[in-house]
Amino acid sequence: MSRTHMAAKPSAVSRALARDRLGVPAVLFFVLAGVAPLTVAAGVIPTAYATTGLTGIPAAFLLVAVILVVWATGYVAMTRHITNAGAFYAFIARGLGRPAGVAAALVALVAYSFLQVGLYGALGPAAAGQAAAHLGVHAPWWAWALAAWAVITALGLARVDITGRVLGVLLSAEILVILAETVWGLARPAGGRLSLAVLSPAALTSGGFGTVGVLAVVAVLGFVGFEQAPVLAEEARHPRRTIPVATYLALGAIAVVYAGAAWAMAAHVGRSRVVAAAAAQGPGLLFGLGSAWLGQAAQLLFLTSLFAAALAFHNCVWRYIFALGREGVLPGAFGRTGANSIPKAASLAQSLTGLAVIVAYAAGGWAPMTNLFFWLGTTGGFGILVLLAVTAVAVIAFFARDPRGESTWARLVAPALAAILLGGLVVLAVLHYSTLLGVPAGSAAAWALPGGYALAAATGLGWGLVLRVRRPQVYETVGLGAHAVTRQIAPASRILP
Amino acid sequence: MAGRSTMRAGLSGTGRLADDLYLMAHHELTGRPFVQPRALGTGLAGGLLAELMLGASIGLGPDGAVLPGRTWPADELARQVRDQIAGEHEPRLVRDWLLFLARTAADDVAQRLARSGYVTRAGRRVPWRPGRWIPVDPDWAFSPLLRVRAALDPARPLPAYGAVLAGLATACGLGFRLDQYQASAGRRLDEALAQLNPCLRELVAQTQAVVDNAVLSHRA
Repeated sequence: MSRTHMAAKPSAVSRALARDRLGVPAVLFFVLAGVAPLTVAAGVIPTAYATTGLTGIPAAFLLVAVILVVWATGYVAMTRHITNAGAFYAFIARGLGRPAGVAAALVALVAYSFLQVGLYGALGPAAAGQAAAHLGVHAPWWAWALAAWAVITALGLARVDITGRVLGVLLSAEILVILAETVWGLARPAGGRLSLAVLSPAALTSGGFGTVGVLAVVAVLGFVGFEQAPVLAEEARHPRRTIPVATYLALGAIAVVYAGAAWAMAAHVGRSRVVAAAAAQGPGLLFGLGSAWLGQAAQLLFLTSLFAAALAFHNCVWRYIFALGREGVLPGAFGRTGANSIPKAASLAQSLTGLAVIVAYAAGGWAPMTNLFFWLGTTGGFGILVLLAVTAVAVIAFFARDPRGESTWARLVAPALAAILLGGLVVLAVLHYSTLLGVPAGSAAAWALPGGYALAAATGLGWGLVLRVRRPQVYETVGLGAHAVTRQIAPASRILP
Repeated sequence: MAGRSTMRAGLSGTGRLADDLYLMAHHELTGRPFVQPRALGTGLAGGLLAELMLGASIGLGPDGAVLPGRTWPADELARQVRDQIAGEHEPRLVRDWLLFLARTAADDVAQRLARSGYVTRAGRRVPWRPGRWIPVDPDWAFSPLLRVRAALDPARPLPAYGAVLAGLATACGLGFRLDQYQASAGRRLDEALAQLNPCLRELVAQTQAVVDNAVLSHRA
């Protein structure tokens, strides 16, 4: 039997391993499940219209999608050459050095944590509204937020990811409802004439050139989750093809759904009135596009979407804490799992953060939808925007040392283009952060919220340098995630029998 | 007399590492698993490979691939695994073997324990679920923990068997069981692992990495 013939016929081991691996649909579904489309379409978009007063949101989704497609070229190329892919800090540690990696890890932790706790600010009012309307139960938003927090804490500790099938049904229903509302809204435009103005590039700068950065933060917030596909790189059937295809399909699908929904809202009530309508109706701006029964279905799905997103981000945060605990960057207790494969300390840490934030907002009497959901959500989105920009630079630095057979476009041109564009958007967003939050220029929140990331990055950088001197063995494993242990237990990994 | 010697033999175990790990991973009375199926399967796959490594039936190549050794194990299941490893045209990495063996390891090891008289199949509670394997004797099922404890006792020489068993148990999430019975001034697990030969260290590390990776990629 020739060797070629043998190679052509995979062994039983190869066939068994291949059966266990994931194809494009499974990876795409995993990515979209973390995106929670109705949370963005009904929660983020109307609040963004109302808070920023800008109408270029539909165009921003398209612009950011194009930038992210360019960005993803280098990202998926680097995924093929590193372990722990899917975590921004792993890319940054490998490209820009381990201290930068630790800084990025803390920034990511803060960003995902903001995204998670911010969701309680929408969950509370949405649940309170439904309970008052249908059950006659009148309780403040924070009581419902605390109830949701308790359930998420319990599910987080019990190792419950909402199962694939349930999430699949919810996700499909969410997308169908958004598309139906979108078609309905576009079919009945204000003044009887459908305008494309909010989709045009000119809409991006209608509030001044600098507001592009503000719009980009809102749009990036909608896309958060798309970067997760490489998490499954080691599980993918054809990592070189499966991960890029799933990533690009996710970007395309998200862009079409969100830009369409945001466009339908502006078209239905009229561009000049959409900001006022969003302020008055909130999520109702989307629910009101179609029929009453469709709106009711959408409101219920909005609740399940928010809940699924809060649980997904909760699990995302503890996985980050767990990986850092495993590496020894955070205390080892965060890296230990219990009998149910859950790192309880990591899960509880995020739960405590959520509890503290809900209690603080309830005590302070701050508006949950604006000051909690939108402020912390967009600040989380801003953190991801920063990480996207830095990751693009890390990709260039990584391949500058060794091209590893990747094309010039993938390893240099595309990431450089993405780094310039994303970096520019970061600068514009910082300069116009007050517009993003809807507060007067110079207000404390407008510098404190983005400034928090500078603090996290500086702390991470310092801690990375301390690790280099004090705990070189831990320093060596920064960015390796689950693979850190192979360096810690078996430092000489190349062995003879 | 015969009963007492059977009891003693039962308490000293089968001498096969994956068997001891299986018993540690299940409740000594009810047979309920303490860890998730994927982590358990991976740990037991590590256990099967460790048996072969301890018996020099397999080793690791310079590139980390698993290579067949010159000896054949007496046990049928271990022999089967060694034959599969030897039958591959291209040597595979430890990680691949862990993923491959993890699919069936729990059932394979349970059946081997049943043949040795350590567990028995209990009836099905619900028709669509398979019956559970129940330990025949709770003391026999508990004894592997004591063997691990010996490995962590600094007053005794370090047995490689116990150190690997402790390492694999921790890797698949059974660390909490070790914590309960560890000698108070015990030898730390990482110290015990550091004294193992590099092949066994790599095996424990890779087992831990595969389990952790499943946690991080939402597939645990």
